[in-house]
Formats: sequence, C-alpha cells, structure tokens
Amino acid sequence: MISDLLLILGPQHRRRMFGYLAWVTGFGVLQGLATVLLVPFLEALLVGDIAAAWTWTGVLLLAVVLACVAYHVQAMRGFGVALVVLTTMHERLGDHVSSLPLGWFSAERVGRLSRLVTGGTMMVAGLFAHLLTPLVVAVATPATIALAMLLFDWRLAVAAAVCAPLLWLAFRFAARWVGRGDELDDAAAVAAGNRVVEFARAQRVLRAFGRGAGGYAPLEDAIEDQRRAGRRSIWLATAGIVAGGFAVQVAFSVLILTGAFLALGGTLDPVRMIALVALAARFTGPLAEVGDYAGVVRIARNDLRRLVAVLSEEPLPEPAASAARPEPGAVELDRVSFGYQPGTPVLREVSLRIPPRSTVALVGASGSGKTTVTRLIARFADVDAGTVRVGGADVRDQTTEDLMAQLALVFQDVYLFDGTLEDNVRLGRPDATPGELAEAARLAGVTEIVRRLPDGWATRVGEGGTSLSGGERQRVSIARALLKDADIVLLDEATAALDPENERFFTGSMRALARRSTVLVIAHRLPTVVGADRIVVLDDGRIVEQGTHTELVALGGRYAAFQESRRRARGWRLVPARTPTPAATATVEESP
Amino acid sequence: MTTTIDEQQVPAGPAVEPAPDPRARARAESAALADLLRPVRGTIRVAQVLAAIGSAAALVPFVALAGLAAAFLEPGPPDDGAVLGAVWLIVGGLGARGVITGLALALTHFADVRLQALLRRRMVAHLGRVPLGWFSERSSGTVRKAAQDDVHDLHQVVAHHPVEWVGAWVLPIAGIGYLAWLDWRLALLALVTLPWYAAAYAWMMRGYTEKVEQMNAGNERISSAVVEFVSGIAVVKTFGQARRAHRGYAEAARDFGRFYSEWVRPMLRIEVIATMAISAPVVLLVACAGTAWFVGAGWITPVEAMTGILVSLVVPTTITALGFGASNRRTAAAAALRLHELLATPVLPEPGEPREPAGHRIELAGVRFSYSGGDGAEVLRGIDLDCPEGTVTALVGPSGAGKTTVATLVARFHDVTGGALRIGGVDVREIDPAVLYRHVGFVLQDVQLLHGTIAGNVRLGRPDATDDELHDACRAARIHDRILALPRGYDSVVGEDALLSGGEAQRVSIARALLADTPVLVLDEATAFADPESEAEIQDALSGLAAGRTVLVVAHRLSTITGADRIAVVDDGRIVESGTHDELLAAGGRYAAMWAAHRSGEDDAR
Repeated sequence: MISDLLLILGPQHRRRMFGYLAWVTGFGVLQGLATVLLVPFLEALLVGDIAAAWTWTGVLLLAVVLACVAYHVQAMRGFGVALVVLTTMHERLGDHVSSLPLGWFSAERVGRLSRLVTGGTMMVAGLFAHLLTPLVVAVATPATIALAMLLFDWRLAVAAAVCAPLLWLAFRFAARWVGRGDELDDAAAVAAGNRVVEFARAQRVLRAFGRGAGGYAPLEDAIEDQRRAGRRSIWLATAGIVAGGFAVQVAFSVLILTGAFLALGGTLDPVRMIALVALAARFTGPLAEVGDYAGVVRIARNDLRRLVAVLSEEPLPEPAASAARPEPGAVELDRVSFGYQPGTPVLREVSLRIPPRSTVALVGASGSGKTTVTRLIARFADVDAGTVRVGGADVRDQTTEDLMAQLALVFQDVYLFDGTLEDNVRLGRPDATPGELAEAARLAGVTEIVRRLPDGWATRVGEGGTSLSGGERQRVSIARALLKDADIVLLDEATAALDPENERFFTGSMRALARRSTVLVIAHRLPTVVGADRIVVLDDGRIVEQGTHTELVALGGRYAAFQESRRRARGWRLVPARTPTPAATATVEESP
Repeated sequence: MTTTIDEQQVPAGPAVEPAPDPRARARAESAALADLLRPVRGTIRVAQVLAAIGSAAALVPFVALAGLAAAFLEPGPPDDGAVLGAVWLIVGGLGARGVITGLALALTHFADVRLQALLRRRMVAHLGRVPLGWFSERSSGTVRKAAQDDVHDLHQVVAHHPVEWVGAWVLPIAGIGYLAWLDWRLALLALVTLPWYAAAYAWMMRGYTEKVEQMNAGNERISSAVVEFVSGIAVVKTFGQARRAHRGYAEAARDFGRFYSEWVRPMLRIEVIATMAISAPVVLLVACAGTAWFVGAGWITPVEAMTGILVSLVVPTTITALGFGASNRRTAAAAALRLHELLATPVLPEPGEPREPAGHRIELAGVRFSYSGGDGAEVLRGIDLDCPEGTVTALVGPSGAGKTTVATLVARFHDVTGGALRIGGVDVREIDPAVLYRHVGFVLQDVQLLHGTIAGNVRLGRPDATDDELHDACRAARIHDRILALPRGYDSVVGEDALLSGGEAQRVSIARALLADTPVLVLDEATAFADPESEAEIQDALSGLAAGRTVLVVAHRLSTITGADRIAVVDDGRIVESGTHDELLAAGGRYAAMWAAHRSGEDDAR
C-alpha cells in the first residue's frame, strides 16, 4: 500500500511520505511509553507510596507532552501528503490517460475509470488521517508495550511473543477476506453502474418499448447481483473480523491466565501482576483496532492498485522529435497487416499510395476493413506488419502532436463536448479568426444550426446540452475539419442518404476540402464515389479492385455489382403509391 | 384536460424554490433520511439493543479486575477460586462484547445491502416514468452517481452509525455511572477533558453542512470532468489538443484540492486539539494525577483508583465514533435529500381512469410544445394533423423544423404544452403508459442496442416472445442469417462478440419493432445511418414493417415517401403544406421546390 502510494506520488515526493511515517511511528511509540508508565505508577499507588506515584506522574507528564507534539506534527504532515497525493494523482492520471492509444478506451474502461477517479478522490483525502495514522499507531503502540513488558516480567513477555504470530496470521486472513469481499462489491457496483448509465442513455429506446415504466430486466438483474455480492461480502468480512477478534481474545486470555497462575504460584508479585493485567487490558484495545483497520486498508489498497494499474498501462512508443516529412500531404500504406485481436486479421498486406491533394474513395462491405485503414493512418493503434507513412515518414517516427497536426478526422461518431457550439467548432483551430470561423461554418452548414439554436454560437451542446441531430453533428465535425485546414482529411461518411439541405452543404464542403487537402473518404454517397480520383474496393481486409469509376464499371467486377445494387435501392419506396399517378410511376421507371 | 396541463407546467413548485436557510435544509435532510430508512428501521432497533448489551459488557473486565486486585491485596493467601473467577469474568466480558457487537453490526450490514437494492429499484422504477426531458437535462453520470454513490452514502448511517452511536452513549454512561457508584469524584475525573473536546468540536462544525455541499459539488465537477475527458479524449487527441481538454479535468481537480485544503487545514489544528483532549495519553495523565491526589487525601482506595483510571481511559474511546458518526450522518442526510428529491421528481401524470384507444387513428389538434415546459421557445406552434388508421403519413422539412419532436410526442416521451394528441380518439395522457407502448412502436434515428444478447435486444418490447416469433421477426428484418453467423448466434452479446455494423444494428432495431408488432408505428429518419451495402435489406425490412400499420414517418429522401397517403411539410414548428405527392407538386409550393432540389441531387449522382 505504501509502495502504491509512492508510485502515485512519484520519486520527488518520497521524502514527504517517509517524514510523515516517521512522525506517526514516533507518536505511537510515545503513546506506548506513556501507557507503560501506568505499571510503575499503579505499583506505587497500590502499595500506598503516594510520593512515588507523584514522581511517576511527573515522568508521565513529560511523555504526554512529547506525544502531543508528535501527534500534531504527524497530523499536519499527513494532511500535506494527502493533498499532494490528491493533486498528483489527478495530474498524472490525466497526463497518462491522454497518452494511451485510442484503442484503449472502451465503454467499460471509461465507466470504471470515472468511478475510480471520483471514488479515489475521497478515499485519498481521508486515507492518511483516518486510516494510515490509526493503523500505524495501532501497531506501534502495542509493540512498544510488548517490548516494555520484558522489563517487568520475562515470562509474560514470552507469552506475548508466542501470541504475536497467531495475531499476525489472523489479521492477514481477516484482511484478505475483507479485501475479497470488497472486490466482489466493486465489480458488482461497476456492472450495475454501467447498466444505470445505459438506462439513462437508452431511455428513448427503453420507453418506446415499454421498458421505462415496465421495468428493464438487465438493470434489475444487475441491482440484484449487486445485492447478492453485498451479502457475500458481509459474510466474508464477518468471517475475517471474527477470526481477528478471536485471535486478540486468545492472546489476552493467555497473558492474563499466565499472570494469574504465576501470581498464585508466588513467583510474581501480585501487585505487579495486577498492574500488568491492567496494562494488557489497555493493549488489546488498539490491537483489536488493527483487525478493523486491516480490512479497510485492504479496500483502500484495492482502489490504489486499480489507480496504479491505469498508470502502468503502456502508451504507444513515441520519439522525442519527429522524423523529417519529405512529402507533405502524402499517405502510404506499405504491406500493412493488422488485427485488433491476435489471430483475426482485419487487414492483410494492404498497400496503398495516396499522392498529395488527390481524393481516394474507399468502398466495400461493412467489416471489410475500411474504418481500420483510417484508424491506422491516425495511429489509433500500431500495425502488426508493414508501415504506415504520413507526409512521407513512418507514423511511429512522429510525435502525436506532429502526426495529428497533419490530419483532420471526420468520423461517424461525432463527439461534442459539454461546451458551447463555438467551442466545439473552434476545437479545429482555437486561434482561428472570427472570419475564418464564419467561413467554415458557412461552408459546412453550421450557420443554419446557429440560427436555429436559442443562444446561437453560445448554445451549450453535447451531453447535458441541446442535442443536435446526426446530420447536424456531422456538419459540426466537418466545420472543425475545414477550420483546421490540415494536409490530409480522413472522412467517414455517415450516410448514403442526406436530406437536400445536408446534401447541399456536404457537397460544398467536400469540394472545399478536396481543393486544399488530400482526402481519404469512406464513401457511402454515390456523388462522392463517382467524383473521386481513385476508388479503392476493399474486401475481407484486402484491396480487390482500384481505379476510376469508369474503369471499374467497365471491369464488371465487385464495384460494378455494388453500383447495380445501389441503383436498385434508389428506386425503393416505403410504401407503393396507393393511387398510382403518372408522375409517381414515372419516378420508378426512371430509376434503372 | 386543462387541469392536467396546468399540473404539468407547475409540477415542481415547492421543489424548485430558492434554497431555504440551512436549518430548514438540515430539517428536510433529516426528514428525508428518516423516510428512506423506514424499511430497515426494525432491524436497526434490534441491532441497537444488542449494541447496548455489548457495550455494557465491555465494563465487566474492569469491574472483575478490581475484584482480582482485591483478592490479591487482601491480607493472607489469595483465594484461588476468587482469582480464577475474576480471570474468567475478565476474559468472558471481553469476548461477550466482541460477539454481541459483531452480531449487531452484521445485522445492520445485511439491512444496508437490502435497503440499497430497494432504493435502487425504487429509483429506476421512478425514473422510468419521469418526462424524458429530465434525462436530456442531465448527464448519464449524474444518474449513475445518484444510483450508486448517493445510495452508497447511506451505508454509514445504516450499517455503522446506529450500532456505534448506541455504543458511544451506553459505554461512557455506564462507565461513569459505575465510577459514580464507587466515588463521585472519580466520575468527575473521567469527565474533566470532555468539555475541551466538545467546545473544539462544536467550533469545528460551524458551517459544516454548506461545506459538505460545496465538497459534493466539487466532487461532482471532477466526476463529470472525468467522464467528459475520458469519453472525449479520442476526438481531442485527433485535434492535437489532449492537453487542453485535460486542462478542464486538471482544473476541476485543482480547484477541489484548493477548496479542500482551505477548508480542512484551519480545522485540522482544532481537530488535533480536540482529539488530544480525549486521547489515551492525556486522559491517562489526568487520571493518574487525579487518583494520586484522591488516594493521598484518603477519599478512595488504591484499587478504586486503578479501576477509575482504566474506566476513564475507556470512556472517550467511543466518543470519537460519535464525532465520525455525526459527520457521516450529515453526508448521508445530504445524499438522502438528493435521493428524496429525485424520487419526488414529478412523473408524467398517469390517468386516474385510463382509457383504451378505440382504433389507431393519430390526431394532433393544435399541438404546441416547448422543451422548457411552456415558457421557453416553442418548437411546435400549433400542429394539426390527422393520420387515419392504416395510412402512411410522412413528415418532411428542413432539420430543426420540429419533425422529430412531433414523432416523439406520439410515443409520449414528452407531454404537449398545448393542444392534444389522440390515438384512437383517446388523449395519450389518458392512456395507461403500459398500454400505450403496446400500441405505439418506434424505430429511432440513432439506433441503440443495449449491452446484452441479440435475442434480448430484439425481445425488448415483448420479453415473452417465443424463439419462433423471434426468428420470424429477424428473418423479416433480413438479419436472421447474419445473427446465425455470429459466434454464439442469438446469444451473442452486443459489443462483445456481436460486433455489428450500423446497417446491421439498424436491422436488429427493425426486428425489435416487428416483434413488438404495434399497430401504430413511428419511423424517425430510419434510414439515415444505414450503410449502403445493406441498404436494400433495410429497405425490404422497413417495407415489411410498415405494411398494414398506421405509420408516421420522418423522411429524408423524398423519393421513398412519394407513395405516402399524406405528406406534411413542417417548417418552423408549423405545417405549411400537406397533401399527396401529386397534389403538392401541382400546388408548386415548398414541397415542389424540395422535390426539384432532390431530383437534381439524384441527377448529380448519375
């Protein structure tokens, strides 16, 4: 646990931590010494030597003053370390998480991480004052008392020494059981929490199918699982606490029985025996607390472990400085193979060269690897074999900042921040002038959205704000890309079908982007496909055809077949005309 | 009808009042807490009685130790029987305390687990009935926090506080009572340092409630900053601004740290003084000095002095628990009030006497709507629309015109702020919600599959559907074969081994609607996210779905709905034109212009 804390703190704060620990231990020892002074005091008092009793009270006064000083210092230092841990933890976690490869972020990880960070904050805040200090004291004080017992009677000290391993074992078991119960609890809480998030996010679907008022079984199951895990965890903790309590009880009984028999046998002064039993009574209190705290510490340690686990996730290796990029705007995949899981390749030996300022359309069935190509170019993950070059240099030889500076990404899942619409568009280039912002917005059709929203540019969008439709979100995303004015644009068209308004803006934006940048587009719309300089057809992770629209249609292969099915699809109607009219019929016949 | 609407508009009257003074708030919190804890009150009482017995047992060893001392110190050889009896009493008293208190704690812990599950169920059941707007105003993180963290905050006051509180009172009172019985001066001696502690503690607690409130707010900020940061990092990284996004998070954390430091540091000094006043060394010192004096003065015997010292040492140990208990109770009370408020969120009013829709005609009469409940900008400004049973009505128009809003009102995601929406002649507000969803189905624009099996997803609207019905629906939605190709077929779990493309997910959602088999169907831009490779399949599935139902479709591609019985052009919250395709073309208005634009787009593609 201390080592986990040191890991979170980093080397520069080690001394602070050790300083604090030294002072707590000091307090524990001083408190033990003060308690031990009870023995000579009681011995004096029980035989009626008041003067000696006062002398020992004087000695006690000295020990108590020192203990108070030590307590004050450790409290202040402990708080200081807690604050450092708190800020350092958030800073390092933030830094580290931003350096992780994008493949790392799954919904479950995101849920766990946010729970960890929020829960972890409060845990760390109370860790030192309410956990570490009592725990260290609860060990140091009895240890001091046990050692001091040697001074008074070696036989009782031996009895105490015999009990020590028993206590240690019992506490270890107690802590392990409590910790295991906590792991059960935590896993169930994460599962139920994720379900609650889903319940909130999918509320529309759930309601549409009567699962709002009617109850949503998976969530109810998760709640029930959490209840069961809670019960199991209590049984485990109870077993642990019983074991610990029993051990303390045995230790105490051994001590007092030994004392009593020695005194009865006449080999131990009865007065001393009574004073020592009084001391032993004081000594089991803190020990029993060790048992209680050990479990809580285990829980805290589990939290810390999870934090440390996140901190030790490996980021993708990055050079300190980027290699030279001799060919700005060029993208090249050189015999690239890649799979998200070992053994299931998604791309197999894909080679593709996109010259600067050309437009390439990627087409292919879903699952053919189109999205993966764009993800590898943006280095969401590293290839298994081959090389991805952007600007003429291997992406692995470039820093994230430099690589991303060349790319603009317009993907399907457009993420909007919980900020204003302007913030969201400006993300493309925070220092853009109002003129540039307005131009990008005009081209992408964001101006229309601004006009519609109650507070215009200052309207809050994203989670917790006004929600935009799918088409509108993509427009925002395109505006970002336009504003960024990057060498290379990676674009995943959201849809094959746009309403006339979106269609108009999209076509305009595409033209503007193609004029200034290299465009690699996962194309769904016919105009995009047809208008590309080159069309690349992917199938099952391989490039099966490439060429211009005319060439490929003439080839009569996969692309030609795909075109054919698109044509059929365009003639579709939700419902056939009820009263066929010449005009409507004509539409159907026109579409070949 | 109007009364219903009025209730809708001023639903949360008392709840949204500006925050009352802290005292009233504290009272409200306590009341909320008491109310939430009602289901486990009986168990808690039993546990408290046990705790009282256990605490009293803690004194037995000290009383017995006095007996032991007396047996040894009396002149003459000690009586073996008396000595051993005392020894066993000491050991037994200690054991009894552990066992009985442990039992009490186990009882309350089980009660806590039961209560948590109960509250989560209540919350979920309640939230399933609040207006949908409640969810769009909050992030999912807030909901999670309520269901997990706020409920968890009650843990201390259910599982620990009642038992520890009883112990904290019984042990000192019994101890001091015993000392008083020995000698009143000993009782006073044990109490000497307490006033210091009490004064320091009271001073420390000033303004505590507000501070805890602030701390919760800070923590919530970190929480949402984290969620925001982590879920947005992918996009942010691609713009090379990971550091910038990270800043929001770092700032939230730093602010929290600063606030925490400013609040706690001055308090810490006082806390140290308070804690020291009742700490073992100080109490020991006072007790030793006091008893030395009393014995010297001849007021008490040395054995009484020893008992006095030991009992004095025990008295304050439980008081710290009282202090912690108080702060835990405040945390819990604040959480309880939040939960209570959440559970008191007005639900969509349920009809007193629900009526069954007669037929499946959809009628909108003068429907007005605004998301902020009447006073904000109106999204719909008087919509009249009649969709006879078994017909297809298409809504077209620019984005933001209000098409989608109309569609959501049919499923009663929200209640209209003016006018009425009727299905089968009955206002949707007078239909039992459980009945309504059996009549109205929905295929949404953003396809949402839930984390669960494919079968579970399709069965969402009809959990009791047979496997044959399930497979038929999926076959009709043209997704059956694809599902069979998944590693575990229908039992594959979405997001784990069922990795579906947008178009495939869309077909699953269509299968879901097919299986639900509702006579009224709302299609919202249903093809918008389809991938073209499966477009033909989706189209076939949709045609199958629409057949024979009363359909309201929010359309994007005009060519798909030319055959609709009625096309309504929505613009700026009003219906500006309506009629069949031919009528509207002939009229030469908005629709005709849209159609021309649409056709030219199609031509471009060729």
